[in-house]
Amino acid sequence: MLRPRPLAGALLAALFATASVAQTPLEVPLAFVGDTAMSAHAGASQGLDEARMQGEFLGQQYRLDAAPADAVAIIAALPAPALLALARQHPDKPVLNIAASDDALRDDCTANLLHVLPSARMARDAIAQWRHHKPGATVEAHAWHPAFEKYAATQLNKRYTARFSQPMDDQAWAGWAAVKMLSDTVAREQTAAPAALLEALRQRLAFDGQKGIDMSFRDDGQLRQPLLLVDATGIVGEAPVRGVVDIEDLDSLGPSSCHTTAK
Amino acid sequence: MRRTLLASFILIASAQAQAGDSRVFVTNESGDDVSVIDATTAKVIGTIPVGKRPRGIGSSPDGSEIYVAVSGENAIAVIDPVTLKVLRKFDSGPDPETFAVHPNGNLYISNEEHAKASVFNPKTGELVAEIKVGLEPEGVAISPDGTRAIVTSESTNMLHLIAIPEHKIVANILVGARPRAAAFSADGKTAYATSEISGEVKKVDVASGKIIGKMPLADDKAKPKDILPSRDGTQLYVAGGRANRVFVLDEKSLEILHEIPVGNRVWGLALSKDGTRLYSSDGASNQVSVIDTAAHKVVATVPVGEMPWGIALHE
Repeated sequence: MLRPRPLAGALLAALFATASVAQTPLEVPLAFVGDTAMSAHAGASQGLDEARMQGEFLGQQYRLDAAPADAVAIIAALPAPALLALARQHPDKPVLNIAASDDALRDDCTANLLHVLPSARMARDAIAQWRHHKPGATVEAHAWHPAFEKYAATQLNKRYTARFSQPMDDQAWAGWAAVKMLSDTVAREQTAAPAALLEALRQRLAFDGQKGIDMSFRDDGQLRQPLLLVDATGIVGEAPVRGVVDIEDLDSLGPSSCHTTAK
Repeated sequence: MRRTLLASFILIASAQAQAGDSRVFVTNESGDDVSVIDATTAKVIGTIPVGKRPRGIGSSPDGSEIYVAVSGENAIAVIDPVTLKVLRKFDSGPDPETFAVHPNGNLYISNEEHAKASVFNPKTGELVAEIKVGLEPEGVAISPDGTRAIVTSESTNMLHLIAIPEHKIVANILVGARPRAAAFSADGKTAYATSEISGEVKKVDVASGKIIGKMPLADDKAKPKDILPSRDGTQLYVAGGRANRVFVLDEKSLEILHEIPVGNRVWGLALSKDGTRLYSSDGASNQVSVIDTAAHKVVATVPVGEMPWGIALHE
């Protein structure tokens, strides 16, 4: 066995005395469940690249190809019934929904199911706010848009397009955001224990999704977030819509009927 | 009334006497130029076209040159602060956002789209070193003795503490979302940083690399950017971004002592050598505010170019 000589050891200790880098990297196996040809998977892969970069500095090692049983968190691009079944099969792990917008999933209040993609109800509320601002306007509400530039959105769009040669859509953004919020939570909490991650994500998340405001989860598991209003010409506005509601009031978009008693 | 008039007369007269022939250089991000303000008259005396999207700006240690990060051209422009001419430009690596000037004259540049900081000798244009950092590096600060640099990475939420001349990272400090700017205390023992999305100020012990204080700014729309200690070190000045105010914090407790209303979306700050004047770039108002640091008041506003970003002083 190699043992460092005392002098070398002391020098090494001095060199790392101020470093917050862990000596043995923390393994963080993540699972992706869904069609890997989807943009949701490309987005999650972009998130993995960025998580790995953060992990190099802070001492974590990420992978996205773990089996659900071996993963500390599961990122799922599935239709509603399969998603619910998966979440119930792994009740102690965070399951992050990046592809299903069904309102019923939010109303279901499954404790370990977290919705990174906006709900259909959020999109409806965003459109209603915009129509209040501009009656008669025909817009769609999106989680993301490849032409979004503010809040360093340009940088994220460029990174994604450079790697995948396709524009970043809503599911790609949700996949990126899911991995990124997990890595940020692992780094801040210094743990990769599934239950601890679930608790931190639900209670203490202040996530920068490159949309200009910190994001957190509602009791129903939905990520609070601004939406982009888009018409045939491109991005026309952001919701919460200025002048209609307080632009910081993310709960003006799609609150659900779920009121959990869990703390 | 008479007393007030007399007091303002004395204030103006003393400002003129102290300011000498000082000049304030301001990058205009959307105007592709640099506005030059005579600090004595608070009037623009020149506009220098520098190229696409100028952002970071700083002075050489001897004051003989002003450097501008021309982000849209991957270049640093070098300006003569007396003749107001662009002397030369050199390649800075991709998308230089901002930089700090080392006491030895080298520039430490954050390359926003390339997750690295690069070190250039501005006299020769030579690349001295590259340092791999996190995603979207932005703010750069160098300790007064030149032995430490801090680079903030906005998308990995870290302050990278870097040893100079080794150019090795000695600590990675996780802070609030989107750290933007950093500064060292005069003795180099303490560093300060702002986080845009979490809207807070963090105080770091440089020797241990540990966070020793934090303060959320009261206004959650604040999105703070530049931060600077006062010359006596007892206070911190913070550009409040969308709060449209400059915050004055107590250095020890980080409590907010004063809030100074300025123009819209204030990002850049620069302080005179004597510490009596603080300049802020109010990006969305296309103006620079001149603040009397003793009175905590704006004493002049100067219209400049489009979307002023960074400020440097020539005194």
